[in-house]
Amino acid sequence: MKAAGLLTACLLLAGAAGAQQLKWNFDKLAARASDSVDVSLEGPLLRLGTSFLSDTDKDQAKIKKLVGGLKGIYVRTFEFKKPGEYSQADVESFRAPLHGPEWQRIVGVHSNEEGETVEVYIRSEAKGIGGLAIIATEPKQLTLVNIVGPIDLDSLSELGGQFGIPEVEVDKKK
Amino acid sequence: MAPLEDELKAALRRSEPSPDFTERVLARVAAAPVRRAPRVSQMWVRWVAAMAATLLLAAGGLEYRHYQGERAKSQVLLAVRIAGSKLNKAQKKVQMMTHRSIS
Amino acid sequence: MPRRTPAPAAASGFDFASLVRQHQAMVFSIAWHLLRDRAVAEELAQDVFLSLHQHLGEMESPEHVLYWLRRVTSNRALDEARRRQRRPMVSLESAPEPVAVTPAGDPLLDTSLRKLVAALPEKARAIVVLRYQEDLDPAEIARVLGIPVGTVKSQLQRALALLREKLSRVAGQASGLSLGKE
Repeated sequence: MKAAGLLTACLLLAGAAGAQQLKWNFDKLAARASDSVDVSLEGPLLRLGTSFLSDTDKDQAKIKKLVGGLKGIYVRTFEFKKPGEYSQADVESFRAPLHGPEWQRIVGVHSNEEGETVEVYIRSEAKGIGGLAIIATEPKQLTLVNIVGPIDLDSLSELGGQFGIPEVEVDKKK
Repeated sequence: MAPLEDELKAALRRSEPSPDFTERVLARVAAAPVRRAPRVSQMWVRWVAAMAATLLLAAGGLEYRHYQGERAKSQVLLAVRIAGSKLNKAQKKVQMMTHRSIS
Repeated sequence: MPRRTPAPAAASGFDFASLVRQHQAMVFSIAWHLLRDRAVAEELAQDVFLSLHQHLGEMESPEHVLYWLRRVTSNRALDEARRRQRRPMVSLESAPEPVAVTPAGDPLLDTSLRKLVAALPEKARAIVVLRYQEDLDPAEIARVLGIPVGTVKSQLQRALALLREKLSRVAGQASGLSLGKE
């Protein structure tokens, strides 16, 4: 599962203690969307869901390892009946909390042909990288992902560059 | 013609019962008789009922816990799938752009 | 032995009247779509809420209440449907078609579809109702009905195929009728 592989890299970027859920306001979009997906997992419910992941299924076991130390997983996808139901101002309102010094955009890709954009942000903290945010826009869909949790830097350095994420140089003591 | 599934959603949308439904339910709840066991065996009946209620509660609670866990697991997998697909998309675009700039 | 009787609704933390108002459409609609008899569906819905009142102390959360209501309503409606039919189980393919012919694309399509759904065998009917009225996924439907998820998926697939076929037959008959009038 290629998506799981790339996610492995980025979830390993996610959070140290003190990282918090992004304060995104979805009310306006929710009112206009024809359909939506809402996943908000944290605390006991996240731990419960993680504990139910299989140890014998390869993909689930990988995901179990990835999400095992996370504090929160938040995903909202909004679908709209036609293009133009949400504006750049709406998207900018989701970028706003990511303008702070602790966040940096590490990937930003745009396709004129398909009208699609994906932006990936990571949050830096004293102990290391502490969070992940994704804003993905399509003409009739908007997806927002926020992940909060601990980081494994050694694993990250092994995966650096493989998935289009800039290499992170880590001094390895031999 | 709209896909069948959209039509089914429209055809099977929820509808309200009669306007006084809530009042009738509350009236039935208020009127529900309270049963009393014969005085002689009342303690025994209470003890058996308590045991049964405890077991049912435990079983029901366990069943609900399992349901909660499976549901939370589905949500974890869904979240990972959505986030992974977006990152995968970004990765592919970056790779494409890298190849173009090299060539 | 400490006294443990079912906790009274008042001590459960839930406002029972609010729960009724919040969920009455869902409970009634599941019953109605499974039974196709408004009066019986209302009666059944009332019984379900009466039971909820008796078990309110066991409810752990609003989600638990929702799950419980769906499960109890579906299972009771299925029991009632089987009692009313009093017929041997028919295979999906031999489910009878509605008597009235309603052309597809007509505003009465909703009614046609509901009748076609009502003509499905009970289990398939419940699966379709939970899928499209309640928007549950197969795993959730399996838990509500207490059947394997594989059964839900295969029954749902077959029910959709059958509904498509019957609907196109209904539309075809309607076209034939209008042509025949000339």
